[in-house]
Amino acid sequence: MFSKVLIANRGEIALRVARACREMGIRSIGVYSTADRDPRTLRHFDQVIHIGPAPGRRSYQNTAAVVEAALQAGADAVHPGYGFLSEDPDFAEVCASVGITFIGPRPEQMRMLGDKVTARTVMRDAGLTLLPGSVEPLASLTQARATSDAIGYPVIVKAVAGGGGKGMAVVRSAAQLPDAFARARSAARHLFGDDRVYLERCLTRGRHVEVQILCDSHGGAIHLGTRDCSVQRRHQKLLEEGPAPALDPVTVEAMTAASTRAARAIGFLGAGTVEFLVDEDERFYFMELNARIQVEHPVTEAITGVDLVREQIYIADGMPLGLSQQDITLRGVAVECRVNGEDPARDFAPTPGMIDRFDPPGGPFTRIDTHCFAGYLLSPYYDSLLAKVVVWAPDREQALNRMDRALTEFDVAGRTVRTTIPFLRRVISDPEFRKAEHSTALVDRIREHRS
Amino acid sequence: MVQMPERHDPAASTLLNELREHARQLATDVAGSLRRVRVRSGDSTVEVEWQPVPTAPAGTQGVDPPGGRPPEPADTAGVGRSDAEAGGEVIISSPMVGTFYRAPDPGSDPFVQVGDVVDEDQTVAVIEAMKLFNPISADCTGVVTEILAVDAQPVEFGQPLIRVTPDPGSIYHASVGRAGTDPIATTNSHG
Repeated sequence: MFSKVLIANRGEIALRVARACREMGIRSIGVYSTADRDPRTLRHFDQVIHIGPAPGRRSYQNTAAVVEAALQAGADAVHPGYGFLSEDPDFAEVCASVGITFIGPRPEQMRMLGDKVTARTVMRDAGLTLLPGSVEPLASLTQARATSDAIGYPVIVKAVAGGGGKGMAVVRSAAQLPDAFARARSAARHLFGDDRVYLERCLTRGRHVEVQILCDSHGGAIHLGTRDCSVQRRHQKLLEEGPAPALDPVTVEAMTAASTRAARAIGFLGAGTVEFLVDEDERFYFMELNARIQVEHPVTEAITGVDLVREQIYIADGMPLGLSQQDITLRGVAVECRVNGEDPARDFAPTPGMIDRFDPPGGPFTRIDTHCFAGYLLSPYYDSLLAKVVVWAPDREQALNRMDRALTEFDVAGRTVRTTIPFLRRVISDPEFRKAEHSTALVDRIREHRS
Repeated sequence: MVQMPERHDPAASTLLNELREHARQLATDVAGSLRRVRVRSGDSTVEVEWQPVPTAPAGTQGVDPPGGRPPEPADTAGVGRSDAEAGGEVIISSPMVGTFYRAPDPGSDPFVQVGDVVDEDQTVAVIEAMKLFNPISADCTGVVTEILAVDAQPVEFGQPLIRVTPDPGSIYHASVGRAGTDPIATTNSHG
């Protein structure tokens, strides 16, 4: 087993990994930027190294700085968390070249899954259904128009190098296509340095359902059930729950079986999430396979009792999975809310500044993953996640009541800081959401209703 | 929907106002004297820089008691050098994680010794990171008064390396950090 793991991340996920390491008797090496130098953050690691200035690309996303720190500290392995270097195949390759284990998939898989054209082709060949649209990148507007006319509007234009909800444009009619196509290409070039785009049918009443998988290096592959992440604003998740509600068990069975089968077919390694869009007739379409631990992983941990970060570390160390599919039984319902330092009234704009009061909830079956405290400065350099509130209950009704209770208890305030808490409470009290009849259109509907 | 920045976006002035407000509030929220404020609208930057506070050595767990000194955010330009509180001394600090070397190779004399007069373009040390040797220059004219890091030992980002008492007549480029300098690959014999 590894004796030292360097955690190439910050915020709540860095803490989450440090906690797993400590429980496993592994020394954790934290890295930090100048903006994160507060000792109240750094105390969670066994050793810390200052790797760069505040901007992420010069610290947490800087391969040279992270690898150099790992070598200095004598780390056996690097856990990349999510974001930053977690899906960078070049980083994984550099780690391997200096004899450090990257806790995640193999670099060639990361490269394949990061390119949406390759990923979609490979997963289609592995038996997953894609939304009607173009598999190859669109060469021209003429081709985009022909494809859209064939599948029908609305369509969504996506960046080949994109993912995680970035670089997408919804097109509602043929008249909007030329402009949207040009803007999507330009956005893709700007965000990812790659202007290739493809398009597919846009489901206006779709649900976002994903399957958590774990695959070891001995051919073992299991799934840990589903999560529903339909509560999104601009393709960014706000609330997640598991198992996905209001799905026919036959659909769930087909979806989870297809996910593990596809993962096995491509020789996937580590923890991954297979994301699907589910239409009103419960047909499910593959969107992407995220080859990393996800923000919403605690939902699955709560309903399965499996520590996913611990499993990631064991898998990276070459151990076979200690669990078979029969060992995974889902119990109850878990819900996660992302408490972000954002102002829902101003299109969820980040609100950096000093957090003066920070008193998170407690109580039964309530888990808070956070790196914040009173006196924490919410920096404009990084994402605005302040805390994840995760609750468990025997059924959905109780879980939602428990979440509302937890959010009511949460006292977080700062002069410039706004949070998503009031908006999350509106979602939880929404009748359509309560009945699990919502789709990815829910957040927009609530916001339009209010204004 | 994808939103691209546009030149005459009416939202830009709103954004600029918001950035201004954030900068103003950040500046008043944290104790300590301000050194630099930067607000920008294209690509949304807010930077507020405080006077440097001596950094506790980053070591093992429990470095400081909870509720210790306030954080020191958004330090981007202060890297590479900083003024000592009194006497106008300059601390040359490491622009990256790496290994500090005082000489171009093991058999050679050090780049500088205590008492040497240096000028701003003079290389005073190299930092090796990922097999690249990055020259560290003095960035001011003055006299080397102390070598703060140990030869051939690892250094962190921002770690003090060399203390220089600048010549009062030398020009001091306060906002120019060296961290952005491209590393130079050499056939140096270290490592």
